[in-house]
Amino acid sequence: MPFFIRSSATTLAASYVLLGILALILFALPLSYAWRAAENDTRLQILAEDSERLAAVFQRRGPAGLEAFINERVGLQIAGERILLLTDASMRPLAGNVPGWPAGVPAEPGGYTTPIELDHHPTMVTLVRTDLPGGYKLLVGRDVARLTPVTRRFWLGLAVAIAVLLVAGVVGAILIRRALLSRIHSIRQTVSAIMQGELSHRLPTGSSSDELNTLSRTINRMLEQIEQLVHGVANVSNAIAHDLRTPLTELRSRLEELSLTRPPPSEAFAEIDAAVADVDRVISIFNALLRLAEIDTGMRRSGFMDVDLVDLCARAVEFYVPAAEIRDINLTFKDESGNLHASGDKLLLAQAVNNLIDNALKYTPPGGTVTVSTVRPQTGTAGIVVADSGPGMTAAQRGRATERFFRGDASRGTPGVGLGLSLVDAVARLQGGSLEFADQQPGLRAIINFPATGS
Amino acid sequence: MKVLLVEDNERVTRFVTKGLQEAGHTADHADNGRDGLFLAASERYDVIIMDRMLPGNIDGLSLISALRQSGNQTPILVLSALADVDERIKGLRAGGDDYLTKPFAFGELLARLDALGRRTRQDGTVTTLEVADLRMDLLSRKVVRGTRQILLQPREFKLLEYLMRHAGQVVTRTMLLENVWDYHFDPQTNVVDVHISKLRQKIEPEPEHSLLRTVRNAGYMLSAE
Repeated sequence: MPFFIRSSATTLAASYVLLGILALILFALPLSYAWRAAENDTRLQILAEDSERLAAVFQRRGPAGLEAFINERVGLQIAGERILLLTDASMRPLAGNVPGWPAGVPAEPGGYTTPIELDHHPTMVTLVRTDLPGGYKLLVGRDVARLTPVTRRFWLGLAVAIAVLLVAGVVGAILIRRALLSRIHSIRQTVSAIMQGELSHRLPTGSSSDELNTLSRTINRMLEQIEQLVHGVANVSNAIAHDLRTPLTELRSRLEELSLTRPPPSEAFAEIDAAVADVDRVISIFNALLRLAEIDTGMRRSGFMDVDLVDLCARAVEFYVPAAEIRDINLTFKDESGNLHASGDKLLLAQAVNNLIDNALKYTPPGGTVTVSTVRPQTGTAGIVVADSGPGMTAAQRGRATERFFRGDASRGTPGVGLGLSLVDAVARLQGGSLEFADQQPGLRAIINFPATGS
Repeated sequence: MKVLLVEDNERVTRFVTKGLQEAGHTADHADNGRDGLFLAASERYDVIIMDRMLPGNIDGLSLISALRQSGNQTPILVLSALADVDERIKGLRAGGDDYLTKPFAFGELLARLDALGRRTRQDGTVTTLEVADLRMDLLSRKVVRGTRQILLQPREFKLLEYLMRHAGQVVTRTMLLENVWDYHFDPQTNVVDVHISKLRQKIEPEPEHSLLRTVRNAGYMLSAE
């Protein structure tokens, strides 16, 4: 792990430096080419103008005049900087600073940049050859090598720039690595603590919203979820232990008593039937928990299809109406949405609505009302509301109502294991929505909201 | 009925075989997929009870697929500890006709077996159902008890139709939930009982001529006697 971090930070910096150098070189190459081309052109032009001036002198004063002029100029000039040569028609030097007609000069008059033989050395020169009347030939040139220091300075400058970049890159890499490592180190320490079971630890986050802080915040949110889940599991395990232990204890004592006392068959059969009922209760708790676990994993989402919520609620109400009538409760269904569809799990939604109705019927006293309605709280949202005229819930109870195995005071003595609303909540969350409770005064309003399809 | 039980758990096997024999059925047993496939392919059964997880190379579902591919149409009840709805769908898709989750009540198993066994014998194109003096016309959707016409809500009609189609058989609450209301979950209430008692009030005003009986620990049965 440390090796990886070290290498990743350094590699990143190194590649940036390399990229910078490459960009610099790619930038310098065409620049240097353009600069050299421009310089060459200028130089040729200067030489050409020079030749014209000399040719004008030839015209005015003749060969002897030009000869004198050139000799005068050669005398004044720094030797070797310029190539000046005047020859007669048989290439014999008349004046200039070059001992003989150099080899390699092109045969036609004009401006060239070409290697020629000077002092028995091939030398790169820029030169202008002019053919004067009477077969006289004039060479005006400049040794390119004399100019190389300028070019060399250019490349030197480039090299210095690269070196500066390299140093800055390395220093930057070290600094970045140190900063990164210190933050990653603190993250690693926190994570190790969490791995050892200290789930309450959180990654350090600064106020800025840079990538690492954003990542840390995301991880913190994940940790919160994990912590909640772990606590949830612990709570559920305790609750399961408690809720399963009770019927299992009853079952065990029933069977043990049966085995010890050997009662007459009629009594024994009654006891056995009761034992089977105990087992059934355990199984139903188990099934409810498994169903919750199945929903919570979110795997059911793959089976989502279009569900007609109005029809679903109408059927659920129809299913419960006879039971409501017996308890003298007025159970009605009201569609306020016109047409409500959602993509979802039909079976689970039906079960959720049934649970809400069942719950409402359980707590509503005879003579009361339970109203189920499908609403559209806002565009794109489906709402299923189950409102009753029962005792309602206190704010504290509302907060805990969806906890597994939580049962309000009012539910004491009623059948159920306290998983009904947990399932509704889980289904609502699976649908991408939520279960909320509101005070109806009197009574309770349970609302499931989740994304709807269609308009 | 002749029943084939493919199940590897000894206790479950003993429990089911004994129960079936007491109910007047004969039961063959195979404790692995290979023997199960052999028996199912070589003998004629009215119903097959198939456990999903079997020892050996062939599991319950592949066995069902193999049988169906070879043209064997014997009704199959899948028995499994895998209770997820998706698992249930998988079981039915493989060619199973019904799916029962372990642990189960024997009454539930027996009632479902009866329903499955009966299905093969029943003609699909009945238009009237009759139990004693209770008559149901499936086309005009009229129900008559003796000479008196009975008015039923659509769901009550469906409930009575299911009971009449399975007349003489025990029908469990779960079977009613699944087939009449299409609810494949346990609503944890006695609402089905309430629907039944409402229906009972409508079809039998004089309780002494009761057709719809409650079967203790199992469910309901509609029958002439």
